[in-house]
Amino acid sequence: MNRRWHSGMFATEDWWSVWIGLAIFAASLLALLGPDVVGWMVRPRPWEWTNVASEFAWSKWFAPAGAGYAGWHPLVAFLTTYVVFTGLFAIGARSLGTDVRRFVLGFSVLFVVTWASWVLGNELHLTMVDATVDGRNRYADAGLSWGLQLGEGAPYLLALAAGLAIGNFAKGLAARLREAARPEWYIKTAIVFLGVNLGAQTLDASGFAVELILTGAAATFVAYMFFWPIVYALARRVFGFKRDVAAVLASGISVCGVSAAIATAGAIRAKPVIPVAISMVVVIFAMIELIVLPGLYTSVFPDQPIVNGAALGMTVKTDGADAAAGALLDELMIARNLQLTGQQWQAGWILSASLLTKIWIDVFIGVWAFLLALVWIRKVDNRGGAVSVSPMEIWFRFPKFVLGYFIAWFVYLAIASRGEEVASALDAATAVVQSPMRTMLFMLTFVAMGVSTDFAKLKGMGKVALLYGIALVVVIAPIAYGVAYLFHRGLMPPLAAP
Amino acid sequence: MMHRDLVLTFERDCWHARGDGLDVEHRELRGLEELIEARLAAGGSVVEVSLKFDTTGLPSWLRQYHGHYCNYTLYVPRRGVTS
Repeated sequence: MNRRWHSGMFATEDWWSVWIGLAIFAASLLALLGPDVVGWMVRPRPWEWTNVASEFAWSKWFAPAGAGYAGWHPLVAFLTTYVVFTGLFAIGARSLGTDVRRFVLGFSVLFVVTWASWVLGNELHLTMVDATVDGRNRYADAGLSWGLQLGEGAPYLLALAAGLAIGNFAKGLAARLREAARPEWYIKTAIVFLGVNLGAQTLDASGFAVELILTGAAATFVAYMFFWPIVYALARRVFGFKRDVAAVLASGISVCGVSAAIATAGAIRAKPVIPVAISMVVVIFAMIELIVLPGLYTSVFPDQPIVNGAALGMTVKTDGADAAAGALLDELMIARNLQLTGQQWQAGWILSASLLTKIWIDVFIGVWAFLLALVWIRKVDNRGGAVSVSPMEIWFRFPKFVLGYFIAWFVYLAIASRGEEVASALDAATAVVQSPMRTMLFMLTFVAMGVSTDFAKLKGMGKVALLYGIALVVVIAPIAYGVAYLFHRGLMPPLAAP
Repeated sequence: MMHRDLVLTFERDCWHARGDGLDVEHRELRGLEELIEARLAAGGSVVEVSLKFDTTGLPSWLRQYHGHYCNYTLYVPRRGVTS
C-alpha cells in the first residue's frame, strides 16, 4: 500500500510518454550501428493542386522519410506508421486501464483526421511564402500567383479547425473519440522528441540554448511570485471566492493550468469538485489562447521572435496548448520574417523558448504544492500536530515527461560529443524522430485538443470564467510579455542553412 | 507507533475513507478525520494513518493532466489524549 518512488511507472500517461518517446529515440540510434529501423515513417510532401489533379500519384502527397525505405510504396509506409504508433499507444492505453478497443477505434479516427489535415495543409497555396531569397522569388519558382502564406503553420491550423469542428458540431463523434483524445499524452511524447531536437540545436548554438534555459528558470520566479498572489488577491477581494477556490483558481490561471489546479487542490485538501470545475475553464481558455496569441504576436511583434515564444510559455496554460501554440508561433513567425526580410530562421528556436519557460514552471509545481500543503495544514486548517505531508509528494507531482526530455537531450549531447563524424551520423540517424515523428504528434495534439474542447461548457461558469478572462488580459499576458521582453529582447534565432 | 493504510475517495459530495476493516464518510475532511480518530484511537500508542487518494474517482479526461491528488498522514493520538 505504501507508495514508493517508483510507483505508477506504468500507470500514468506522463510516464508512458517517457517510455514511448525514449523507446523510439533508442530505436533511431540503432542506425549508428547499421540498420535504420525508423525510416519507414511517412512524411508529407509539398504539393500544388493542379499538378496533383492532372497526374495523380500517392508519392506527390507523402513518402517514406528514410533513404533506405525510398523504394517502399507510400501507402505501405503510411500503414506501417499507423500500425506502429497505434500499437505503441494501445500498449500504453492497456496499461492505463483504458478500454483498448475504444482507444484503438478513436485513435484511428484521430490519425486519419491528423493526416488529412497534414497532407491538405501542405498545399503550396497555403504554405508558400512570397519572399525573394538570394535573388530568387519563391512564388515565381513555384508558379503561384496567390496564396495564404502561412508557412508550415497551415497544417496545424487545419488540424485545430478539424478538431474543433468535431468537438463543437459533432458532439456524438467527439464522445466516441474521448478515450483516445488525450492531447497531454501526445504532446508529452512529442516533447521527449523535442529533447532530441534541443540536442541538435545545442550543438549549433550552445550559448543560445543555455541562455534560454536560464532565462526560462528566471521567468518561473515571475510566474509564482507575481502572478499567483495577484490572482489570489483578485479572486478573494474582488470576486469574493472562498480561500480554497481562490487558491486553486490562482494556480490554474497563473501557474501551469490544469495540473497546477489539481496539485494545488490536492495540497490544500480541497474537494475534488473544485479543480474539476476550474479545469474545464482552464482547458477552454487555453484553447482560446492557442487560437489568438500566435497570430497576434506574429502580427504585432514580428521582430521579437524569442520574446514572443517566452511570453507564450508564461501565458498559455496546459502543456498541450503551450507546446501547440509555440509550434504554431514558430512556423508563423518564420514565414512572416521570410516575407519581410528574405531571411529564414532555423525552425524550433521559438518553440524551444516557449517550452523551456513552461517546463520550468511545470517542474516547480511539486515544490509549490508541497509548500502550500504545509501552509494550509499549519496556518489555515491549524492541524500542524495531527496531519503531515511527506516531501516525497514533490516527486509524485514532478512531471515525468520532463525527465524524458532531458534524458533525450543529454544522451544526444553525450553521443555527439564523441566527434564531428559521429555528430553528423547522429543527426542523420535521428532526423526522422526530430521532424516527421515529432510533427505528427504535434498534429495529433492539435486534433485531440480540438476534439476535447467544447466551448458550450463555458456557459454557467459565470464568475470563474470572468475572473479568468480579466486575469489573463489584465495581469498574466501583459506582465508575461514585459518580463519576456526584459530577458529576451533582441534575441534572434540562428539563420537556417541556405 | 501503529500504522494503518486507508484509501480516500470523494463520492456523492462526501469524503470516504476505507481500508483495514474501516469504512467511514463525512461531508467535510475534518469531520472524516474525527471519525477516523474515534475509530482508531488505541490505548497504548499513537496510530499513524496513511491516507491515499484514489484518483480513479476523478473524471478520466482529467487524469492525463495529473495522476496525483491528495495524500497525507494523520496522527491519531492515544485514547483519552486530545490533539
